Amino acid sequence: MWLLVLFCLLLGIFIGLEMPVFIPFLLAKYMSIAILAALDSVFGGIRAYMEDVFDTVVFISGFFVNILLAAGLAYLGDRLGVELYLAAVVAFGVRIFQNLAIIRRYLLKKW
Amino acid sequence: MKKEAMLSIALVSVILGFMLAVQFKTTSANPNNLSAMRAQDLTLQLDKVTKERDALADEVASLRDKLSQASKHDQAMQVISQELKTANILAGLEPVKGPGVIVTLTDSSQPLVPSDNPNLYLVHDQDLLTVVNELRSGGAEAIAINEQRLVSNSEIRCAGTTILVNTTKIAPPFVIKAIGDPSVLESSLRIKGGYLETLENWGVKCQVKKVDSIEIPEYKGTLRFEFAVPNTNEKAE
Repeated sequence: MWLLVLFCLLLGIFIGLEMPVFIPFLLAKYMSIAILAALDSVFGGIRAYMEDVFDTVVFISGFFVNILLAAGLAYLGDRLGVELYLAAVVAFGVRIFQNLAIIRRYLLKKW
Repeated sequence: MKKEAMLSIALVSVILGFMLAVQFKTTSANPNNLSAMRAQDLTLQLDKVTKERDALADEVASLRDKLSQASKHDQAMQVISQELKTANILAGLEPVKGPGVIVTLTDSSQPLVPSDNPNLYLVHDQDLLTVVNELRSGGAEAIAINEQRLVSNSEIRCAGTTILVNTTKIAPPFVIKAIGDPSVLESSLRIKGGYLETLENWGVKCQVKKVDSIEIPEYKGTLRFEFAVPNTNEKAE
């Protein structure tokens, strides 16, 4: 089962590497925030899956809205002269590690 | 339910992987992220300079073409350079020589009468202007005041205690050289009731000398139009 997720991740990486898509250097910062948000959403989804509280609508909408909000907030911070993207990095970082810890415990309990 | 959840996670993973790869490509193509702005700046500049260089190279090529064509038609070249020379002479950008007159105006040395305005005994810009005007109407082809060639945009203007010609200060004695028919020029100045007579009444020393050959220097300033451009709608005849 988890192999499918891993396979899809690798497929996405492959597509990204092969396709001639580049983002301007100026937007790379916002892209990194968006990736953090996406990572957080995916780990949150996996955790919810393990806790049997997974809701597809919540997961998918959360994924896209988080990405856009994170990038948008970082952009707004730049406009305002506040390093708002640092807040996003910290918030998502903390959540990612929390989710990872919970996933690890579930996996340890399983086996 | 479980399957659906798995599928959505997988689908999202594809997008996540795609984003990761794109970001990875971007950051590895640009190792020092800190100077990303500067790198873009430089890229833009490089692009601009490259375009400029290409345009200049094109220009060089086309100019070389023209040059080789021109040297092929040697006669045409000669005609053109002849024309250029003529135009330069007409514009006052070439030194010229020929017969003409030398007019010398010197401030009056009469003793000042206390009740008189001392200004009346001096040579003014107006006097020079009038003399030049008389010379022009007498058919003078080239005029210089104290070695300052008068061209189409030359000024003769009072500036404090001195007179400016071609934005250069000149001081008495004023030597006006004019190339033209000497006798016509002289008589246009010496005519009865003419301007020199008026000047001499005030004691200004005027001297008109006919000469067979005088040299008049070229205009030494720059002739540059900032506002006037050729009117291409109406072709000059």
